[in-house]
Amino acid sequence: MIALALALALAQAPPPARAPAPSVAPVPVAASAQTPEVLIERRLAEAVPLEVGDTVRVRALAGRGPALPFVVAGVFERAADPNRISRNEMELRFHLPDLEALLPQKDRVDRFAVVLRPGADPDSAARWIEGMAFGTRAFGSAALAAESSATFRVISRFHDAIGIVTILASAIFLLCVMIIRVDERKRDMAMLRLIGVSRSTVFRAIVVEAIAISIVGSAVGAVVGLVAARIVNAHYAAVYDTTLKFALVSPRIVLTAAALGLALGIGAGALAAWRVVSVPPQKLGER
Amino acid sequence: MIVSAFLKSTFRRRGRTLLALAGIAVSAALLLDMTMLASGLTVSFGELLGASGYTLRVTPKGILPFDSDAAIENGDDVGRRIAAVPGVRSVAPVLGAQFRRVRGDSAGEPLFTVGIDPRSEFLYRLTAGRQPGPGEVIVSVPLAEDEGLKPGDELALAGDLDVSLGRARATRRYRVSGVGDFLYNYAGEHSLAMTLADVRAATGRTADVSLFGVAAETGVDGDSLAKRIAAAVPEVSTYSTRELMAEMDKRLLYFRQLATILGSVAMVVTALLVATIITIGVRERFGEIATLRAIGVRGRRVLLAVVVEGLALTAIGCLAGLPMGLWMAARLDRILLSFPGIPARMTFFAWEPQRVALAMGIVIAIGAVAGCIPGLGAIRAPLAQALREEAE
Repeated sequence: MIALALALALAQAPPPARAPAPSVAPVPVAASAQTPEVLIERRLAEAVPLEVGDTVRVRALAGRGPALPFVVAGVFERAADPNRISRNEMELRFHLPDLEALLPQKDRVDRFAVVLRPGADPDSAARWIEGMAFGTRAFGSAALAAESSATFRVISRFHDAIGIVTILASAIFLLCVMIIRVDERKRDMAMLRLIGVSRSTVFRAIVVEAIAISIVGSAVGAVVGLVAARIVNAHYAAVYDTTLKFALVSPRIVLTAAALGLALGIGAGALAAWRVVSVPPQKLGER
Repeated sequence: MIVSAFLKSTFRRRGRTLLALAGIAVSAALLLDMTMLASGLTVSFGELLGASGYTLRVTPKGILPFDSDAAIENGDDVGRRIAAVPGVRSVAPVLGAQFRRVRGDSAGEPLFTVGIDPRSEFLYRLTAGRQPGPGEVIVSVPLAEDEGLKPGDELALAGDLDVSLGRARATRRYRVSGVGDFLYNYAGEHSLAMTLADVRAATGRTADVSLFGVAAETGVDGDSLAKRIAAAVPEVSTYSTRELMAEMDKRLLYFRQLATILGSVAMVVTALLVATIITIGVRERFGEIATLRAIGVRGRRVLLAVVVEGLALTAIGCLAGLPMGLWMAARLDRILLSFPGIPARMTFFAWEPQRVALAMGIVIAIGAVAGCIPGLGAIRAPLAQALREEAE
């Protein structure tokens, strides 16, 4: 059950949620009129270290010109973006003309974010933009999210597959435990049958016992899953210095795990009970 | 004899023993897969890096291969200086760019294009035709298949688009000289290779190189050669295969740690399963054990029999789990290889005999240890009480 709960926590965790928008807190400084300003990501500011008001010299790796001076106008926390977690690069933010001055190619942008008027259809706006600006591609927010979450869909499918294997192992484990428990008490069962207790009562008793075991197991599994998720999240938060959640134990996941555990318990109990009630009581006591 | 009797007793209860073996087999299969996953991609990446014989990569300072648009300036001069470093056998320059296929007034999807030295055979293997000369291109197998291209065909390519005029800029016609199997392409990727001079001419980057592949002479250590190149050409970064694998490891930390977590869960499940089976088995044979002790059989021999029982269960379970694990690895690999941008030649699951043997050895050892606790309990129980309980 513990394994089942953990597997479900991993299997059903949605793609890591984005953190709230970054809290950029620029602090005005008395920079000279000629010196442009730059925002520094908090991790970079800590690593260098840098403070608001410091002057840094920056050169683009793809650039040709000399390094240019910039005044640190503020330190910001980058949005926790799961798409960038593996590279986990540090980030600077410039005014567009200042960045352009550092790069060899002028009058170029990677992408535009477009806010539509209320009621405008994103798809038709996207097609219109693509028709106007040759070679561009425009995506609505939903299409962009679907496009950029391909990686997480793969991870989700992988987790699903691992979850199925873990459920299989848990089912076998539960069945094994139930059969052994029932085997252990075959003589008691024989006695019950011989004094007149019906097959169905014995059957129900074993199934109820299996249900009780799976409920207790699921409860323990949920607690272990919660603790494990906290440990996993704390670990990855330290590794990547991020607020992203890597494992989520939501009420839905707990309920799904419990329902699965219950179903497995009933199945295992019924199978184990069938082995006992299908044998004549006189033979049950035999070693 | 006692060991044999215990084993016979275990396998006499076929149903439960088979179930236990199935449980151990599934856990062992999961553990095997996690062991293979933990290092699979890194090992596979290392093999792929060295596939063409170019074991070192020289890139713009601080940049991993094709991680940004940054390029090495004065590429020809840098290439000559690298080639002059003792131990360097061959230097293959590469310039990456995006081209679009132009048909009439419309331009297609971007095609990743590399400018190469045709003599190097660094990034692809020819499957048809010949190496490109001036004005010629190699097309990737999926591009050739999807577009019906073959050596001798012509295609129009543009290195740039004019957004305001709505048409491709500087369209040129190229002849397909061959079809290539690109080593680092993802499944179905459309890409091109042409001479370095042609890419430079089309993009206006007349002296740039995105990266160099460097082949070492036989017997020369990659790491020490990388250091010598870094000393000779300090304005670039030089990565040996080992360093690139370490970088890959960092990026795939998630998978390694997930494999560790799931592998540990599999071990715990195996230990619990074996411990439960053995504990109950010993409990059922409490009287037999007491009788054996009463007739003078030493506790150590009884304990050995219990340990061997656990050992046999886990060993057989592991053996059954191996093929199951390999089958599961193939299925999981197919899922993971659908990651965007993963080279089709890579695998997430690598069979490393030493690591696999270690993992399976640990499971078998767990099985043996799991039998110790109930075994010790049985041989330490008061003899008279145990015999009386058995008689009742």
